Amino acid sequence: MSVNPDTYGAFLRTKHDPALTRRRQRRDRLGQLAVQLGTVVVLAALLSIPLFLIASLAAWTPLPERAWERLGTLFAGTLKAATCALLVAVPLGIGAAVFNASFASPRFRGWFKPCLEILEAIPTVVLGLVAFATVAPWLKGHVATLLALVVAMPALLLAGGFALGARAKHANGWLPLWILPVMIAIVAVAASTSRQPLIAVTTPWNTLLIGLALGLAAVPLVFSIAEDALMLIPATHVRSALALGATRWQAFVSIVMPAARSGFIAAIVLGASRCLGETMIVLMASGNTPLADFNLLEGVRTLSAELVLGLPEAAPPGGAYRLLLLAALALFVLTFTLNLVAAQARARLHRRADRGALA
Amino acid sequence: MLIAHPDPTLPNEPPPGALPADVEIALEMRALSVWYGARKALDSVSFAVPARKITALIGPSASGKSSLLRCLNRLNDEIADCRIEGEVLVGGANAYAKDIVVHELRRRVGMVFQRPNPFPLSVYDNVAYGPRLLGVKRGHLLDDAVESALRAASLWDEVAARLDDSALELSLGQQQRLVIARALAVGPEILLMDEPASALDPASTLRFEELVRELALRYTVLIVTHNMQQAARVSDYTAFLHEGRLVEFGETDALLTNPRERLTEDYITGRYA
Amino acid sequence: MNVAAKGEAGTWLVAGAAAACLAALLALLAWLTLAGLAALWPSRIVEARLDDGRNALGEIVASSDAALAIRTSERDRIGGGYVRLLRSTIASTSEPDDAFVVALADGRRLYGRGDASVAAAAQRDSGSPEAEETVWPNALGFFGRAGLFVRHAGRFLATSTPAPALVGGVLPALIGTVTLVALMSLIVMPLGVAAAVYLHERRGFAASLVRGAIANLAGVPSIVYGVLGLGLFVHGLGADLDRWFFADRLPVPTFGAGGLLWAALTLAILTLPVVVVSVEEGLARIPPSLRAGSLALGATEGETIWRLLLPAARPALLTGLILAIARAAGAVAPLMLVGVVKLAPALPVDATFPYLHPSRQFMHLGFTVYDAALAGPDALRGVPRAFAAALLLVAVVVALNLFAIVLRNRLRERYRALES
Repeated sequence: MSVNPDTYGAFLRTKHDPALTRRRQRRDRLGQLAVQLGTVVVLAALLSIPLFLIASLAAWTPLPERAWERLGTLFAGTLKAATCALLVAVPLGIGAAVFNASFASPRFRGWFKPCLEILEAIPTVVLGLVAFATVAPWLKGHVATLLALVVAMPALLLAGGFALGARAKHANGWLPLWILPVMIAIVAVAASTSRQPLIAVTTPWNTLLIGLALGLAAVPLVFSIAEDALMLIPATHVRSALALGATRWQAFVSIVMPAARSGFIAAIVLGASRCLGETMIVLMASGNTPLADFNLLEGVRTLSAELVLGLPEAAPPGGAYRLLLLAALALFVLTFTLNLVAAQARARLHRRADRGALA
Repeated sequence: MLIAHPDPTLPNEPPPGALPADVEIALEMRALSVWYGARKALDSVSFAVPARKITALIGPSASGKSSLLRCLNRLNDEIADCRIEGEVLVGGANAYAKDIVVHELRRRVGMVFQRPNPFPLSVYDNVAYGPRLLGVKRGHLLDDAVESALRAASLWDEVAARLDDSALELSLGQQQRLVIARALAVGPEILLMDEPASALDPASTLRFEELVRELALRYTVLIVTHNMQQAARVSDYTAFLHEGRLVEFGETDALLTNPRERLTEDYITGRYA
Repeated sequence: MNVAAKGEAGTWLVAGAAAACLAALLALLAWLTLAGLAALWPSRIVEARLDDGRNALGEIVASSDAALAIRTSERDRIGGGYVRLLRSTIASTSEPDDAFVVALADGRRLYGRGDASVAAAAQRDSGSPEAEETVWPNALGFFGRAGLFVRHAGRFLATSTPAPALVGGVLPALIGTVTLVALMSLIVMPLGVAAAVYLHERRGFAASLVRGAIANLAGVPSIVYGVLGLGLFVHGLGADLDRWFFADRLPVPTFGAGGLLWAALTLAILTLPVVVVSVEEGLARIPPSLRAGSLALGATEGETIWRLLLPAARPALLTGLILAIARAAGAVAPLMLVGVVKLAPALPVDATFPYLHPSRQFMHLGFTVYDAALAGPDALRGVPRAFAAALLLVAVVVALNLFAIVLRNRLRERYRALES
């Protein structure tokens, strides 16, 4: 026998070592202290954002002339860009979430979600680059084409659904993959036409372009919030509707959609918040012209772009600096409020789902 | 967690089924009551657990058996709104005294849970977890500790070649023995077992009961079981709990064949589950 | 139109939305790869003969339906040799085999026709001490050009860039990014783990305050963090540090201007929520029976956390770290306020004591993308360079995220085994 149990037994018999116990208790206390300290630092760091911005208002240097007018213009520009972006992000994000949650096969779902996570991971500076260098020159001559595509695509999809839907029903779980090549082909053909542009464009770096790029950047967020809401709805309700003879679409419209409404609203609100705060895309793809009008074909300057361009030049106690901090505070309050609203809507939805009160 | 002391004005009644005076006592409960919030889980339980014997704790579900076990190694301290009244004497000293170091108590009173809960570590590291806490560094002493604990749990032969494999790869029966080895490695005096064989198949259960009888040679065992045949096979003494109260306590043979209380008899004959 | 058909139409509509998302992703990645690699791929030299007899020899840098832009020899300065030719005036084009390009050390490119001696003469005339490479691209086959491509790629990754940062490699940007990310990780991981442990163990008011702060402040735009970094750290703490410790160097700021330290701190605050959420989720996944088992063996709570729970949650810690790094690699806007520059005079890590220089400005790969495309004097050079940097950045970020996804799936499998 290789082991002498008596050595360990002997150790155990002398095990009561008050010094060791004291050391262990001391180490425990130190560890607790470290955790508390770390948490305090984390809390302080996060709270420093609003506190710093508010505290900086207290300094009393006069704002430059027409400060509020400038802020107003920036605000308007920010809203304009965000609205345009939402027009892209919401249909794509919510549409994709609806398909994923209600119609897709489980394997498709397993692949689709990571794809959108990859899309979310692409840094916005890269999106800005592609928008600036590739899409903008194309857009210059193809605004009408773009608008035509935006109208034609859904129409074609609906037509396809009517015509082929019943026959192709068995492919429904993977439908997007069938649609994908056709879609790409249509877009490629349309994009390569080069006639005289029907809609004249003074600058290709305009709100339309930003809407496309910014909207694409916000799609993953809108998608995940909407999908989260849709997944809360118990599958049994849908199945009972199907058993009663409804099609999947009818079940979706009558049961799923009303229940997930607040989830959709939360998705839109959070998407808006994201678009309002985005900087790089706007910086690269806008003309940075501080205009405030409804023309989508003009450039735009947003609060965030103004911050990036203006702050390195502005010196701390000056009026220009204060104005920019005010702009940052406005941006913070706006996004924070929107996030709070969306969080409440989602919490309400989760509570109702927990109670079983959904649908 | 609030700890209250027994009311000294109440008469000190002899507990139902006291032990003869010459039996050595490892653990004693005096008027132990437990509240979880407003719900009273144990009502003035008093009995003594004899040393180096196997005592079974039987009773219908929700009779407070698991709560009682958790009081004995103060795992109840982890539950937020748990309140204790009464005394728990481990080796003569009150476990709930202010100067008791809880983790020292828990080393002396080991616990085995219903479902085996091996750590996501290797077999060796599972058993070595306790000794490492006690300051045993790498080397012969640690290896000795692991080997002797595994032998005492009659698991050594099966895992000697697989000490570095993950503990999660063992079968359920092996995992339960591993968990026992883990508890033995810190040198307890008392082993608390909460329905330890309930997750095992019948063959493993019988081997397990054999192990328990071996362990009782060196350790005091208090085992909660739903299975009266198991209690009969394994234990020397039995305590019957019903709705938080101790109904009867005595030598197993006597209690199971000739119970004094009507409630006990009803339970044993299966008049209620 | 029966009801069923209407239903199918609706399905097709939402399926189209999903398809559009996929199409956008694929198009984006494909275009990035194409444009990024094309930036490093050696291009052919073209000779255009115009109607009026003039010749233009050089590389095509842009083309549209109506015109062609060619870079001809840059005798005086970079970007000084572009010519725009209307297609209608071009009589013929050819790709002569003996056309060569001399890439000078200062980035200028010279074109000509002839053999090695002609090329050497051209280089001597240019006034530049040496040439980086002299190539006859038209004469090379596919494999020749592939070899050249590999050399370009290597140089892109492994060399630094002389002023004015138009040509050369992104090595300083890579080093700057890596150093920044490493410093940020050192700051964010201990703090994030501490907060996650706190949230895991405690339930009271303070815990819900912390949780609320993390959840609600996580959605704040990254630029606002940059403003905080600039205002609080650079102008606030930095100015104070300068006054207390570096007063002799004033008015030249040491910590009172943007630099590595402030950028790392800013990004650490930015990525804190990601780390805390990931680690807390990991701890919550651990079955409570494990904790009970550890306590029952006589371990203290601290020992249980340190020896059992945190090691068991290692995949979650790693996931949190990876997501934080991916976020830091891509967040350019806040960095533009706290210390990233177009061209740093020195690296933030070098061989002089104390080896790490937290007050220095640094370069960043994401910023290179922005700067090359928009802020350079030569857009026709800058944009391809930006694409190359963007491809590199996206490759790294996507790889990190894929790794995190794989880890997350393995985590789920492991805990399913634990719970069963």
